Amino acid sequence: MPELHSVYRHREFGDHLTTLADYERAGGYLGLKEALALSPDDVLYAFHRSGLRGRGGAGFPMGRKASFLPKDTGKPTYVVCNADESEPGTFKDREIIEHNPFQLIEGISIASFAVGCERAYIYIRGEYEHQARVLDAAIAEAREAGRLGPDALGPGRPLDITVYRGAGAYICGEETALLESLEGKRGQPRLKPPFPAVAGLYGCPTLINNVETLAALPPIMHRGPDWYAAMGNEKSPGTKLFSVSGHVLNPGNFEVVLGETTLRELIYDMAGGLRPGREVKAVWPGGSSVPVIGADSLDVALDYEALNGVGTFLGSGGCIVMDDSGCIVRASWRLAQFYRHESCGKCTPCREGTGWLANILGRMVHGEGRGDEDIRLLESLFGRISGRTLCPLADGAVMPVQSALELFRDEFVRVAHEGSPRPVPMTEAPVG
Amino acid sequence: MTVAEIEQYLAPIRHEYPDPRSLIIPALKYAQGDAGWLPPEAMAAVAEATGFSQAYVESVATFYDRLYVDEVGRYCINVCVTLSCMLRGSDELFEHIADYLGLDGEGTTDDGMFTLARVQCIGACDRAPCLQVDSGVQLGPLEPADATCLIDDLRAEPAPARYDR
Repeated sequence: MPELHSVYRHREFGDHLTTLADYERAGGYLGLKEALALSPDDVLYAFHRSGLRGRGGAGFPMGRKASFLPKDTGKPTYVVCNADESEPGTFKDREIIEHNPFQLIEGISIASFAVGCERAYIYIRGEYEHQARVLDAAIAEAREAGRLGPDALGPGRPLDITVYRGAGAYICGEETALLESLEGKRGQPRLKPPFPAVAGLYGCPTLINNVETLAALPPIMHRGPDWYAAMGNEKSPGTKLFSVSGHVLNPGNFEVVLGETTLRELIYDMAGGLRPGREVKAVWPGGSSVPVIGADSLDVALDYEALNGVGTFLGSGGCIVMDDSGCIVRASWRLAQFYRHESCGKCTPCREGTGWLANILGRMVHGEGRGDEDIRLLESLFGRISGRTLCPLADGAVMPVQSALELFRDEFVRVAHEGSPRPVPMTEAPVG
Repeated sequence: MTVAEIEQYLAPIRHEYPDPRSLIIPALKYAQGDAGWLPPEAMAAVAEATGFSQAYVESVATFYDRLYVDEVGRYCINVCVTLSCMLRGSDELFEHIADYLGLDGEGTTDDGMFTLARVQCIGACDRAPCLQVDSGVQLGPLEPADATCLIDDLRAEPAPARYDR
């Protein structure tokens, strides 16, 4: 299926919509115009009717999340954009920010109108300093033009946006850790409930959404929620961005209608396929925190339900592909190292468990494994980590390893006994 | 970095945050720009400028990878080694850079020019294998020879007036 550019509007307009004038010529701000003609409640209802689900990873219905914010609490209401994009294999939001920043700003404006927010925050990861500067410039331009400021959402209806830079911590993509960090604390997750909708930033009602989710709002408001809801299947409407990386010839971002493209088409038709003579061995389709799937699942449709049907998740859409030159234990070890590094240390099962996973997999890879004993030890760890922590980081650490062990058990057993020499990496420069 | 300089930096953004605690990380990042890391005097200055204790400010700083509480070189070479980059040669790239710099793995060169680190995904898997110098644009895909050129170029640069980490 062809790509459909809704969030990636810039791709229809010379790849760059980085000035307000260019963005407006490309139909920018027509969505906000439609929204401002409605009541905030009607805009919330439009979010709901569109069927848009949170694109950061959890896939929670966006309209429902927004409807949880209590009204008339006497406190300010905040919209927070999660631009902490740190999930391994995910770089889709980076392109929105770099190439189409005003669509994000317009989306934040629409969401702010719906929930009554006057000051929104974009929490962007510290590693995206270049991207943060693009946002700074776009926000300054929007302010200059009156798109932000005292009358941004109509006469006397102010909105301004603050770009807040993180300082290097994956966990700050978890929404409550993000809020802690934005409040000037160590980025450690909070116990939920209360959910951010009720007691979020500074204890106030807060709507937190991913960059892609917010950038989906302008076309939804402009073309109507029914247009959006009619794309894809009923439970997974709309378009989704996928970042494809790893052993593919043409890594990059692709926007597709959910349910209308298969994983095979994404890898082979869009991302250029593999090197000659190579076959897909393993795919982490939704970032690194999801169960890995094998070559027999390539014909799965890319939507939330179908991916659940093959035992994995759509997640962030960060699709990492490994061909048959790769070692699954080495890949699992590398991911375990990631989670060990990024565990915030608050919950013992995660802090200790991610270290155990990395240590056991590391010694297996380096030929120092303890054979079947290590396999049993790994298996005994999963249930002691998953589901026992405040936030999903620990589950994300376990799922790729547990699924890999189930799918490639023979290889794990062999590596536990014999180790795994480092394979020759793919070094060809990407095509195109 | 003096307290007054930090206060001057914070003055135009104070109104954006209802709680001054939110100023701590921006202040730390700003203060880090001076020496490229956060010596105790810098944390003390941030504490005074924001109105929080130095112990609290340090507890925040130590949580984040890109706030450096130990001295680092003039340039931080951050090589991504997460899965997508590993599959495309990040370990080989890292080892090449370490060899070229005369380092045994991660660390700082004797002349204080470079700190080499393995870092987790920097959101540029389409450019794998990739690296970031300080918080600059994500560079990639890099062949070992590209990294050598990059390091030579950095070595020839004058010391930056401020550090962007």
